Amino acid sequence: MRKKSRKPAVLTWIIVAVIYAAVFAAEQLLPPSSMLFTVLKKGATYALVAVSMNLLNGFTGIFSLGQAGFMMIGAYVYAIFTIPAESRPVVYQYYDGGLIQFSLPVVVALVLAGLAAAFFAFLIGLPVLRLKSDYLAIATLGFAEIMRVLIQWNNMGPLTNGSNMLRLYPSFNDFNIRNANGEVTVYLSTLVPFLIAGVCIGLIVLLLNSGYGRALKSIRDDEIAAEAMGINLAHHKRLSFCISSFFAGVGGAMLAMYQTTVQAKFFTTAMTYEILLIVVIGGVGSVTGSVLSSFLFVAASEWWLRFLDEKQIIGSLEVPLLRNGFRLVVFSIIIMVVVLFFRKGIMGTRELPDLFREKRKEAVK
Amino acid sequence: MSEMSEMDIRTVPDMKTDGETVLQLDHLTMQFGGVIAVNDFSMHIDRGEIVALIGPNGAGKTTAFNCVTSVYQPTRGRILFHGKEIGSERMHRTPDRITALGIARTFQNIRLFSGMTVFDNIMTAMHLRRKSNLFTQVLHLNGEEERKNRETAWKLLETVGLTEAAEELATSLPYGKQRLLEIARALATEPTLLLLDEPAAGMNPQETDELGQFIVRIKNEFNLTVFMIEHHMNLVMDISDRIYVLDFGRPIANGTPEEVQQNPVVIAAYLGVEEE
Amino acid sequence: MWDTVFPYLLSGISVGGQYALIAIGYTMVYGILRLINFAHGDVFMAAGIIMVYIAASGIPLWISVPLVLIITAAVGFVIERVAYKPLRSAPRMSAMISAIGVSYTLQNLVLYITGGLNKQYPTIPVISDSVRIGPATTKVVTIVTPVLVILLVVALVLLISKTKIGMAMRAVSKDFETAQLMGIKINSVISTTFVIGSFLAGVGSVLYFTNYPTVIQTSGAMPGLKAFVAAVFGGIGSIPGAVVGAFIIGIMENLIKGLDVILFKAGLVSKPLGLAIFSDAFTFALLIIILVVKPTGLFGEKTTDKV
Repeated sequence: MRKKSRKPAVLTWIIVAVIYAAVFAAEQLLPPSSMLFTVLKKGATYALVAVSMNLLNGFTGIFSLGQAGFMMIGAYVYAIFTIPAESRPVVYQYYDGGLIQFSLPVVVALVLAGLAAAFFAFLIGLPVLRLKSDYLAIATLGFAEIMRVLIQWNNMGPLTNGSNMLRLYPSFNDFNIRNANGEVTVYLSTLVPFLIAGVCIGLIVLLLNSGYGRALKSIRDDEIAAEAMGINLAHHKRLSFCISSFFAGVGGAMLAMYQTTVQAKFFTTAMTYEILLIVVIGGVGSVTGSVLSSFLFVAASEWWLRFLDEKQIIGSLEVPLLRNGFRLVVFSIIIMVVVLFFRKGIMGTRELPDLFREKRKEAVK
Repeated sequence: MSEMSEMDIRTVPDMKTDGETVLQLDHLTMQFGGVIAVNDFSMHIDRGEIVALIGPNGAGKTTAFNCVTSVYQPTRGRILFHGKEIGSERMHRTPDRITALGIARTFQNIRLFSGMTVFDNIMTAMHLRRKSNLFTQVLHLNGEEERKNRETAWKLLETVGLTEAAEELATSLPYGKQRLLEIARALATEPTLLLLDEPAAGMNPQETDELGQFIVRIKNEFNLTVFMIEHHMNLVMDISDRIYVLDFGRPIANGTPEEVQQNPVVIAAYLGVEEE
Repeated sequence: MWDTVFPYLLSGISVGGQYALIAIGYTMVYGILRLINFAHGDVFMAAGIIMVYIAASGIPLWISVPLVLIITAAVGFVIERVAYKPLRSAPRMSAMISAIGVSYTLQNLVLYITGGLNKQYPTIPVISDSVRIGPATTKVVTIVTPVLVILLVVALVLLISKTKIGMAMRAVSKDFETAQLMGIKINSVISTTFVIGSFLAGVGSVLYFTNYPTVIQTSGAMPGLKAFVAAVFGGIGSIPGAVVGAFIIGIMENLIKGLDVILFKAGLVSKPLGLAIFSDAFTFALLIIILVVKPTGLFGEKTTDKV
């Protein structure tokens, strides 16, 4: 048998450990209002959501556009089950304090958020997963729209608060440890989302490296050959769809924590498109790529490119074109350039440990 | 013209043999709209035999394979595996269940998993026989099974002589080696019946010769029964125990290589009917 | 009862006709390229915005309307050349992602130009006038739409069945590779398809925004999706199918909008159930049902994959 070098794996672990240590240290040292933390929190959230979408689109070859719908289910389930009982009359002011009068611990609610999303994925998957690529895309997109309308329906109000927002549930800032005077002693509001996303992405990586992961990739590469090698398409597609949706649900719950409010109208098709484009920029079929691209995307849109949206005056000259919305135009152009000319994205199908390995031969065309 | 010759063809019945029947096609017919791709085809294969299916292009050979492996559901007739019905006009299973029964195949136009390494292509085909479930696999608690599978996969690569290329992308291999990898991958599903769809396509005479020896070797080593579609007549005549000939979807001859070689109907089908 | 239902039915026919004009673009492009042109709804929106700015520049309407249609057709042409042509041999998923990218780009471009504000669509004389039909008061455009749709569809069907370019289109949609081998200029056929599709979306936008006279960057998303559903419902690739599908969806969605009122007046419910918000959801539910029950739609042709 051949021996694999352990070096790439060890280096990867060291890099991950250093990143987590740096996040923890930065949070204790830098002012909490720093833009860095906004980027890290939202980036971690998007990283999980993008990886979960990549599991489906990049590793199983199922082109689904239901991501925002499953995130919304996760966000709502998390919020509904964690709002403290005493806050419920305020939040559900139009629905007599709402239907549910208890709250669950954050971790339990997170798992429940994932399970709810996975359950809906199972249901919608029954009819939809039999469809071919583009039909599946549009059907999942339609499903997300249906869910959005359903949640906002007045008759669902006691549960979902209708079209009003849910708020006052535990957010990332509630993870900070405070002393008796309410002063923060240890900052954890960035580390915790990193941990949640890290554990979830870790599980996805473990799945991809298992026999099931190979089965999913074989479906992506050639459905007919996969089936001929004894892989049950329906079973494995459903599995991938449910697992992807589970983590999209958890990601949605994280987004709820990040935003501190939840409202169905924000989980639009545009959100799904944005995540899809993150996946494409990172590399369809690379977990590392999705993670990198999530942080880059969030950093660029929330921080680095913000100046494009404001008037800039250099000397006495006003820089032309810069005004509200220009950032998004620049963004769109970058995305189109990637889509058209750099189709492999940042990472192609490579992962972090691959960067420390010798190069593989390219496929013969 | 073609209609005339189509009417001239007479269906030849299957001839009984003594062995233990593994696969039997019973009046198999496959129709696509107005086109009858396979027409009333009866045949059988005994345990340990190498049986070849030959015929001009478009004779319906691959369609017959696709019926056996349940890619298509036959319009009429039955397919029996060890005497048990596995496909008919009433019965349709997904192809993975046929593979689970012990029937593996290769493809005419090579269908390897292009995004995976040579080694992973083999490992993927072992997924079917795994006892471990999703949780033990994700948490990597199936160490023993994984180790055994890796050993088996490695042995299969040794069998086809591809150990050097184990970590390369499957599609980076030269054509002939891709065909060998496809055979190794099929063997990884632990079949008792192996279907080979034009295994020698694109190979030179020497490679074809080696392939013939290789097929006989794996047949003995893995206790297989082999059913193959092939155009290289030397290979077919060298290693087949019996041959079936299809033309325009109809069986026009069957028998030993010597019998088929001398059959005037077969010669006419291959050379084209000139006397009318 | 009829007096209650009729106005909803009328606006259903009108909006159905407008969806039909968008749906034709989807169905033609899919027929030829097997691509869901996700940007098509945004081309429709862009036509609306272009009209707003042309009208604001003081160009008289009898020039500005044809001008808008020409510019919209040009936009469709450019999108195909820039974003889809380079990906012709790439996997299908790449082209679809590119289409989503174009949709994103068009929306952001319009957001930048308008500052994200609702823009008032200019009032076009005659078709904006009010008219009374039976128990309902409506705009002239409501009656003009179905008539115009039928005229345009007849013209299009004639174009496809009688002219040389139409024949080439049919050949390409039947078998892309063979058509290419036969010497048909694939690129000009595809460009023509996009030009026709965008032109019709432009016509649709003039009619649609006369009824719903504000335009914003997201205005095209919903009508676009619904028109796509209509195309699938009718059997993607079939022009009559897309038109029939669009009318059915337009009518159904407007009846659902009025369902609370209709049920209430019929004495079937005592208080409104808030069903109107399901008018959009209905379209998507219909899509999923159709895809599961009869994926080829009402008039679609069956295709088989080769192994």
